[in-house]
This record gives sequence, C-alpha cells and structure tokens, in this order.
Amino acid sequence: MTTIRRFCCDDLLRFSSVNLDHLTETFNMSFYMTYMARWPDYFHAAVSPGDRVMGYIMGKVEGQGESWHGHVTAVSVATEFRRQKLAKKLMNLLEEISDKMDKAYFVDLFVRASNMPAIRMYEKLGYVVYRRVLRYYSGEEDGLDMRKALSQDVEKKSIIPLKRPITPDELEYD
Amino acid sequence: MASKFGLAGGIPERRVRPIWDAVDSRQYKAALKLCTALLAKHPTSPYVLALKGLILERMGKPDEALSVCLNAKEQLYSDNIFHFDDLTLSTLQIVFQRLERLDLATSCYEYACTKYPNNLELMMGLFNCYVREYSYVKQQQTAIKMYKTVGEERFLLWAICSIQLQVHFSIGGEKLLPLAEALLKKHITSHSLHEPEALALYISILEQQSKYDAALEVLSGDLGSLMGREEDKLRLQGRLLAQACKYTAASEIYQKILESCPDDWESFLHYLGCLLEHDVNLPKSRTSEHPSSLPVDSALALKTSLSDELVESRLASALSFVQKLQVNDTSDCVRGPHLASIEIERQRCRSGNPTDRKFIEALINYFHRFGHLSCAASDVEIYLHMLSSDETTELLDTISRSFDASSLSVKGLGLAITTFKVQELLGTFFSKSTTELQHIAKGMVEAFYKNLPLSRDLDPQESMHGEELLCMASSILVQLFWRTRNLGYLIEAILVLEFGLTVRKYVWQYKVMLVHLYSYLGALPLAHRWYVTLEVKNILLESALHHILPQMLNSPLLQQTADLVKDYLKFMDDHLKESADLTCLAYRHRTYSKVIEFVQFKERLQHSMQYLSVRSDSIILSLKQKAESLDEVESILENVNHGARLVELSNEDNVKRFTFNEDLQARPWWTPTTSVNFLSEPFDEGSTPACFRAKACEHKSTEKDDSKIKYAERKALLPRLVYLSMHGCASSLRETQLNGSGLDTDATEMKPLLLKYARSIGYSIDDALSVILGMSSGKKSVKDFTPDIVSWMSFAVFINAWNLWSNESVVPRADESSPSSWQIVDSLVKICVEEQLIDANRILTSPGNNIPVLVQMITEPISWHLVVIQSCVRSMAPQGKKKKKGGPSERPNVPRLQAIQRSVQCMIDTLRSVQSWLSDQMRPEEQALDILLSYLQGGNEDGPGQISCILEENSARHNPELGERIAQSLETWSSAGVVRRIVGAEKELLVELKKICDSKLKLLASVSASLSSALH
Repeated sequence: MTTIRRFCCDDLLRFSSVNLDHLTETFNMSFYMTYMARWPDYFHAAVSPGDRVMGYIMGKVEGQGESWHGHVTAVSVATEFRRQKLAKKLMNLLEEISDKMDKAYFVDLFVRASNMPAIRMYEKLGYVVYRRVLRYYSGEEDGLDMRKALSQDVEKKSIIPLKRPITPDELEYD
Repeated sequence: MASKFGLAGGIPERRVRPIWDAVDSRQYKAALKLCTALLAKHPTSPYVLALKGLILERMGKPDEALSVCLNAKEQLYSDNIFHFDDLTLSTLQIVFQRLERLDLATSCYEYACTKYPNNLELMMGLFNCYVREYSYVKQQQTAIKMYKTVGEERFLLWAICSIQLQVHFSIGGEKLLPLAEALLKKHITSHSLHEPEALALYISILEQQSKYDAALEVLSGDLGSLMGREEDKLRLQGRLLAQACKYTAASEIYQKILESCPDDWESFLHYLGCLLEHDVNLPKSRTSEHPSSLPVDSALALKTSLSDELVESRLASALSFVQKLQVNDTSDCVRGPHLASIEIERQRCRSGNPTDRKFIEALINYFHRFGHLSCAASDVEIYLHMLSSDETTELLDTISRSFDASSLSVKGLGLAITTFKVQELLGTFFSKSTTELQHIAKGMVEAFYKNLPLSRDLDPQESMHGEELLCMASSILVQLFWRTRNLGYLIEAILVLEFGLTVRKYVWQYKVMLVHLYSYLGALPLAHRWYVTLEVKNILLESALHHILPQMLNSPLLQQTADLVKDYLKFMDDHLKESADLTCLAYRHRTYSKVIEFVQFKERLQHSMQYLSVRSDSIILSLKQKAESLDEVESILENVNHGARLVELSNEDNVKRFTFNEDLQARPWWTPTTSVNFLSEPFDEGSTPACFRAKACEHKSTEKDDSKIKYAERKALLPRLVYLSMHGCASSLRETQLNGSGLDTDATEMKPLLLKYARSIGYSIDDALSVILGMSSGKKSVKDFTPDIVSWMSFAVFINAWNLWSNESVVPRADESSPSSWQIVDSLVKICVEEQLIDANRILTSPGNNIPVLVQMITEPISWHLVVIQSCVRSMAPQGKKKKKGGPSERPNVPRLQAIQRSVQCMIDTLRSVQSWLSDQMRPEEQALDILLSYLQGGNEDGPGQISCILEENSARHNPELGERIAQSLETWSSAGVVRRIVGAEKELLVELKKICDSKLKLLASVSASLSSALH
C-alpha cells in the first residue's frame, strides 16, 4: 500500500530515511527544484500508510527526433521498504509517462559499472546496456548507459548496443 | 549571451565574447583587463559598465561593483542612450541581485518598461524582478499587461498565479478569487485552455470557492482531456465529488481508481470514507510537520451519521470489493487490499461489532502473507495498539509458528524480526524482567551472526539480511541501562552497533544510534565522527542536523561546532537567495502548481525555528571563541549590526510563524526530541508499555512547545545584550562621557531587552531579580532553577552591566551592606560552578554528566562577564590610542575598581577550581580502559558482559560459511579497541575544556595586574 504521487517540496524535509543511505546522493536545492519545475510528471514519491516517504524517482524528458527520450536521474527506496518491487513500480510509472504522455522513443539511465545489484535490477526491468561511458563518474569510474525501448520505437532501434565505449564529452546531454 | 544580430548590448559581439569566455572560465583578471580596454572605447556604454560590475563582483569587490553598476544605471537613464536592451538589463540585474540590491534591478526594469512600453522581453524581465521581490500585486499587474499586449494563455496564468499567491499570503487575498475565475472564464470562452497545469489552476480556483459542481463540470467537459493520466483525473474527480457530498458517485470513482491502482492507500481511505459518508475535507495536509497521530486515525475518526445496518452493509460491500482485488493480485507485492481488510474490520469493531475475531484474523492473515517484509510491523502499527494482551500473545505465537527458527532462510529471518518489531512497537519489552531482556538481546545478536551466511553473496553495498536485529538488541541494552544504571549495558549497546558497522560500514541506522549514545556517554568526538560519515548536506541539514547540533553547542568543541553551523547557514542563506529564481523557472516552464509550492516552501524555510536559532548560535559561538579579545568581540558584533537584526527576528509576529522542520522519525526511542532524554530521568518501574508510548508521542507532538521557542527567543537577545553591556560599561566609566547621548539610548534599550529575557525564563523582571538575589545569597537553592541555570547566570551578568550605567537603581539595596551587583554575579557564579563540581562521580563512569552545563557556564555567562570586565578596564586605562588628546586626566573610580578587582579574583578562583577538578578527572589511558572494561567482566550470569563475549567469540571463530569478505571484516573487530576510543574521546573533551579555562585564566591574570597597578 503505497500512494504514488507527485513529489513536492515538503517531501524534501521528510526523505532523510531514503537519503541517509550512502548510495543516495542528496543534491542541492536548485537541482531538485529544477526537476520539479520543469518535469513535474517525472518526479514522484511513494508514501506509506503512516505517511512516510518510502522512496522516490526523479527524471526528465529530453532529446530530439528519434532520440526524444525519458531519463531516470535517480530512483531510491528506503531500506525498510526494499525487496517489495517498489523501484519497479516507480520505474514503470516513469516509463508509462514517457511512453503515453510524451511519446518518447526510449527511457535511459546511467549506472556505475560496479553497481551490480542495480544493473541486475534494471536488466530485470527490461533495460539493456546500450553503451559504456568511460570514466563518467568523477572522472574515475565507468558508467553504463542502459536503455529500454518504448512503443514509439517499433523496430527497437534505440537499444541496439554501440560497439565501442564513448567518453563523457561525446554524450548528447548532461 | 550574444544577440543574433551580431551586437551585444550595442557592442559588436566579437568584442564581448572574449570577456564572457574569460568570466566563464573564472579568469577574472583577464576579463577585467579586456573589459577596461573595451570601456575606453565605449566609456558610456551601460552594457560594458554592467559587465565590469559583474567582473568586479565576482572578484569579491562588492563596493566597486556597486558603484560601476550605479554608473551604468545612470547612463541608462540619460537621454543620449541609443541602445536599450534586455541583455544590458539582465546583466545589471545579475550583479544587483548578487549585491542584494534587488530594488535597483527592479527600478532599472521599471524605467525601461515606461520608456519602451509593449516590449515583451522587458516586461518579462520586470515580472521576474517582482517575483524575486515577492511583490505579488505588481506581478499580477505586469502579467495582465503582457496578456493584454500579446493575448497569450501563459501570461494570463502568470497573473492567476500571482492572485493565488495573494490569496495564500495576504490578508483578504481570497477576495480576488472571483476576479481570477472571471478572467479565466473569459479567456476559455474565446481561446480555451491548452495546458494541464492551467486546468489544474482553474480547478483549484473553483475549489477554493467551494464551487465543486462547476469544477466537476469543467473536468468532465472538453478541458478534462488535458489531464495526462486517467488516474490523476479520477483522483481529482473523487475529491471534488466527496467535497460536494456526492458520496455514492465519489465512492464509485475511488473504486475505479483502486481497480487500476489497488495499492493506492490514500484512495482506499477516501473510498471507505465516502462509503461511510464522512469524507468531507479528508485530503490531508502535507504541510503538517509532525503528524502526531497516523493519518488513518485522524482521517477516520469522524463518526458516520449512517444507521448501523447501513454501515454494516456498506462495509460488507467494501470487504467483498477488496477481497476481489486480493484475488486479482498474484504478485504478492500489493499490500493495499490486504491492509484494507484490516481497516474494514476495525471500522466494524468501531461501529458496534467488537466481539467477533475477524479483526485479529485479518491481522494474522496480513502477517501470514507479508510478515517477512521489513515494513510489516510498522504497516499495521496503529492496529497493533488495538489488540488486547491476550490477542497480542496469540498473534506473536501464530507468527512464530509460521517459520522454522532452526533453518536458515531469508523469509524465516524476516518473520523472526517482525515478531521482535511487533513487541518493540507495543513496548512489551518494558514489562519484561531484566533477565528476560538480556536473554532476548542475546538471542538477537546470535540470530544476526547465525544468519550472516545468507548475505555472503550480496554486494558489499547492499543491505544485509537481519541488520535490524542489532538495532533492536542495542535498543534493549539501552533500556537495561536505564533500568539498572549499570554502565556495562550502555557500553554493550555501543559495542553491538560498532560490531555491525565492522561487518558493513554503511548502515546509517547504526550510525544515528551511535551518535546519540556517544553523545549521552560524554564521548562527543566519536558521535561527531559518526555523524560526519552520514554526509548530511543540503536540505538534509534542515531535517537531520538535530541529531548532533544541540550536543555540540554545549560542548567545548567550538571549532567543529562552528563548522556545522557555518555549513547549515550557508545552505539556508544560499537557498533563500536563489529560491525566487527557481520560482521564475517554474513560471517560465508553466508549472503553476510549483510556483505556489515554491513560495510556500520558501516561507516555511524562512521561518524555520532552527534557522533563527542557529543564526543566534553562530554569533554566540564566534563570541565564545573570541571572548578573550575585546577587539575581536567588537568586530564580530559590528559585522552583525550589533545583534539588532536578531532581536527584530525574535519579535512575536515572527515567533508565531515558526516552522519545525526536523525529521524526528529516526531519533531513538529514549530521546524522541532534542529537549528530551529519558535516560536522564529515573526509570519508572510502574510505567506500562502503553503509557511509555504515550509519553514518547506526547513529546513528539509538543515539539513545538513553549520552552523551546522561549529558549530560541532568549538566544536571539544575547548578542545584543552582550553588545549593550560592553558598550554601556565602557562609556559609563568614563566620567567625561557621562552625559553622552549614546548612553541614554543604550539604557532605554537595555531595559526592555532584559524584561523580555526574564519573561522568556518565565519571570517578571522583579521576580527574576529576586531569584538571582536569592540564589547568590544562598537563600534560594540553585537546584530549583537547574534547567535554566545558565540563563540565570547570564541574566545576572547583564543586570550588573546595566546597573553600572543606569540612572535608576536596578538592584534594590537595602543598605550599604547589601551586596553590590558585582558581588551578586561573583557569588552566583561561584555557587553555580561549585554545585557542578561537588558531584564526586567520575566523568568516565557517569554518562549524562554535567560537563555540558559546566562548559556553558564557562563559555557563556563567565565569558560575558569577562567581556564586561575587559571593557570596564579598557575604558579606565588611559593609555594607547584610547587616550584623549589634551583631555582632562581621568580619575579612577576607586570603589568600582576594587569591585572589579574582587570579581576578577573570584573568577580566577572559580576557574582554578574547575581546572583542578578536570585534572583530577583525567586518568592514564590504561587505567581508564581497565575501569570501563571491568563493567563487562562481571562474570555474573545476570549482568552485562555476555553479549560482548558473543561478539568477541564470533569474530574470532573461523566460519567458512560466511564467505571471505564478511570473515575478513570480522577479523578486525575488537571490543577493547572501541572502549579505548571512548576513553580517548572523553579525555579529548576534558582537555578542550581545560584549554578554554587556561585562556580565560591568562586573560584574568593580565587584567588583575593592570587593575593592581591602577589601584596602587
């Protein structure tokens, strides 16, 4: 029993049990608020019956032509609410919005190449490694660009893996 | 930055680009050089001037930047200006904003808009200026003008948003709602609406006027198709129907939502509410900072007006509906419909069918299905509290029977943890004997170790199975300490968590508990170290700083505390400065709902009690750090306009609007809020689990209580009081200045501040005076005033300062033999400090000790008193630059000098006694280590020590099932190592405090010497 609704500013004051986790980055305010202001439909919180923030997803939609796509910037679930497919629900919501509302071609995300648990989860959700971005994380660790095609991309062109890794300056978007 | 016509602000773009490139790459010197060269060619170009201002501001030269920009502004206003564009204005705006002169930016745009009416770009610039200044009316006017100029939907909605802001933030603003509605209606008739956010705004305008039917009509008409997601539309429809009391229709809508989103708990509550016809105003406010009871409680507390039969039949239909949902779901991840059954049974009990067993059966079913989940117990927390003790036992037995404790499985472990959690939530551990509790805690630690192999193949970043067990074990050990006061338990509580962090270093729950345990134990440096590893930053500072800051503020770790405070204030200040820019962004992207939300959020942060409090703390801390140098104290105060701004901020209007944004959820049970620590109170054997829970809840809900607010108010007065005290003393002792006009203003200001100060402790000024008189003469017991003792001492210090230069007699003196105000301070300080030193207990072995109080006494009232003394002495010493040229020679006021001399001596004696006490507390490390370890070596079946043995044995044992990684981390475990760190941390605190005493004594010695020479 999860109520999934738009993320609001007040949630920022109640998401410490999600964000104290070491893998969850606490961004600066303009980051969160820019997402809320520009892509309010891509920023959702899941709350429990006790009105606690169980987790949230933030993302955006960007690109042009056939690279018009949804992007998952962060998805995080508090320890207490893990292992019940909440991240999946949140991801599905973002995919649905990208697909149905914004008619995007695919959804993508970046993940640390070493973060096997996350990579496995995304694979289970239907994402494939599209390409490797060399030294994407603070110029040290490689990132994997993972993608999932949406219904617009009938031939699933967007997810044909690139043969060679790219460098961060070759990325189309920040 | 360049315009598309090759001109930027009237200057060829190729000349400007290199300057911007240099600015962007932070090559400010190079930028300035280029800019100066360009300025030589275009000396009156407002754009180039603005650029120069921008560069100067970035270089940290605000005054020069301002003057250059003012020049640019002048040029703009002059008649011979041939180029006037938004680029120039927006560049100027950036600089003015950074210089905190929004008004100047606004006036530039206002001027431009008058000069070039109908220029949309300039009007948008002006609109943004008003957004930054939070001028809602002007925002509205500008937006309407833009709307009239170009007729675009977005500008109308900017105006509507500006009206909404007035509705929310100005008195009587709701009168504007009909205007907003009419504007929208007119626009819709001719142009319709095209944005989902515009529709939402329109609906909310109708909703705010209780025009639910009209709103529903809009929603079901053509405009309704603007809503992107069907569920969102249905939710809105359901809410409007419920508000319009159309319960049947509303419940049908909610039923539809639940069919597509069966896990949507909020919608289920609405559904049930509508069935029982009391869903009015159900949408709960998300702004409530600390929901005192769980929302389901308050949401369904309303009594239905339906007959019992009708209720029963509706509940029955609800039940069959959720049962259908249960059957449809095969994923085992949708808990909503199952929880719904419990809620329906609870409603049945409420409406007069309390006897049947369906409620407990629903609960048992829930655990049967979801009991292995980490959140199972907290999901049903409110329902658990409704069980009788027999039912609780039955529930626990049933869960326990549902798994095999002897075999290893994730699910079985989850269920075992849930049984513990249920007991923890119900507080049943409080009614168990100490032996039983020890046994349980031991079982938890053993279970943790036994189940470690389940996690052997997990990624080191992933949370391991059973991590909660150590939190619960530690929690029980704390309770055992509370009951028995046996320090061994407290040390074990720490060891268990440290052990957990040795196994996996990322568990924040362990860290938070350790922060509190180390703080309580007096090993604050360790608490601080763990806190730092939590990487609390940005907005988390507002919600999670409370875990460490209050303790740090009362510690001698002044520098670390100053760093915490600095980070927090930087975050808040920066955010409040940039917040309006983000509102502009929301306007630009037409996310109207967020425009309002952002402004509300800014208000919430701006009125944060913590924010005001920490602003005071920050100044007080700097004063504490520099109290031994009068010049530094003066310059600190000068930088904060002598504390006057803080006094303003603590006025009643502001205080009433305080918000409390701390997230208290993660605090451990024994300290539910920053001002409460059960461990400092005696354990009440008679207290039942229920009353314990009630107590904790009560503390959380009264977090906004008076005493905290009063304390914050009091702190806000301090810097000003210190300033007035030193300023007044300095002038009063100079006979030549006795008639100075400044003095009178100070005197008239001091009195109301002291009145307010006394009132914040809960006394009138006369009563407060008699309290300090009473305490200093020994007629009143210091103990009776313990919680505010430091404030009382400071009060006495300020009274003395005031008395020195006030025309009225502040302290009533019966005759010459009554104590002077100096003597009152001396004796109060002496008595209060001595009181702290009497306690013969060793700091090492007495947690919750009096070090924090002692630190405050020394760093606050004694420091303020020393500032007063220093400023008296300086004003009497006619040497150096203070000497007046050719003025009359100043004659020392001998009786007063003698009083000061006696006070100095008293402070010296007092601080020396503190020092010798501190030295006495410090022991050789090995000796201290032995003392602490001895608490764990009782050898007694029934005391602490058993769990630390288990930890030691487990880590030493070679268990191949654990896998290499876990086994390796265990090898590094050492209980003695942890205890050694505790000893080190406690000593570190004592050493720091001693250093503070040292520097004060050094100052006093020099003051004493100069006084002696003045007297003889």
